[in-house]
Amino acid sequence: MDFNQSLKIAASGLKAQSGRMRVIAENLANAESTARAPGQDPYRRKVVTFASKFDRELQAQTVQVGKVERDRTDFKSRYEPGHPAADASGYVKYPNVDTLVETADMREAQRSYEANLNVVTATRRMILKTLEILRA
Amino acid sequence: MAIGNLPLVDALKTKMRWNQARQSVLSANVANADTPRYRAVDLKQPSLGGAGGTLAPAPVAIRVATTEAGHIQGRTIGSSFRTDGQKPFETTPNGNAVNLEEEMLKAADNQIDFQMVTSLYQRSIGIIKTAIGKKA
Repeated sequence: MDFNQSLKIAASGLKAQSGRMRVIAENLANAESTARAPGQDPYRRKVVTFASKFDRELQAQTVQVGKVERDRTDFKSRYEPGHPAADASGYVKYPNVDTLVETADMREAQRSYEANLNVVTATRRMILKTLEILRA
Repeated sequence: MAIGNLPLVDALKTKMRWNQARQSVLSANVANADTPRYRAVDLKQPSLGGAGGTLAPAPVAIRVATTEAGHIQGRTIGSSFRTDGQKPFETTPNGNAVNLEEEMLKAADNQIDFQMVTSLYQRSIGIIKTAIGKKA
């Protein structure tokens, strides 16, 4: 039971949030990735899942990125007859990525990351305070 | 009588241990701020028997979150402080009941509390030093 434990738990939170950030970046980067040929599917949005894991070493609930699932909602379609991936009626399937949703998600990841950083800062201050006892 | 056994110093040490344990609990809450079905937990203040009574808290195991039917209640050895199941302020649609602001406030609170206790500890040691004729 020491402060290292708090730091490690917060670190698990930081890792999970940055993993989430990575997936969001992937979604945003592929927001316009269409298929190459008609009949193929474009990029499918990825969804991060978080799982709470009981760490036996730390004796506490840490967090980790669980399976990265695929969003099963329908693709968007746009009418672009000249597109190489357009089907017979001239429609092209676009990824089911909504930039607005991704941006909101990104902000949330940012805030959670900052919260974990704050915990790290607070814990480090406590450690320093403990060390100050030695100067008494 | 060793210095460590003085009721006052002992109480302060218990308090510091509690602050440490609480910091890791709060840190786990923040790390799991986006984990589905995670509920925030907190520790109860240890009762530091008024005028130097017995100060050691009774060992009570922290209960592990059971997120699935069939999960076995594990036992933690780490902390002997009683957990305090809080009434959640709000629960998100995915069943997460961690309020970041509240946790941040608690972490800051815990930090200040710890600083106070360490300062008191330093003072106590200073008093003992004065008693044995050293310049504190």
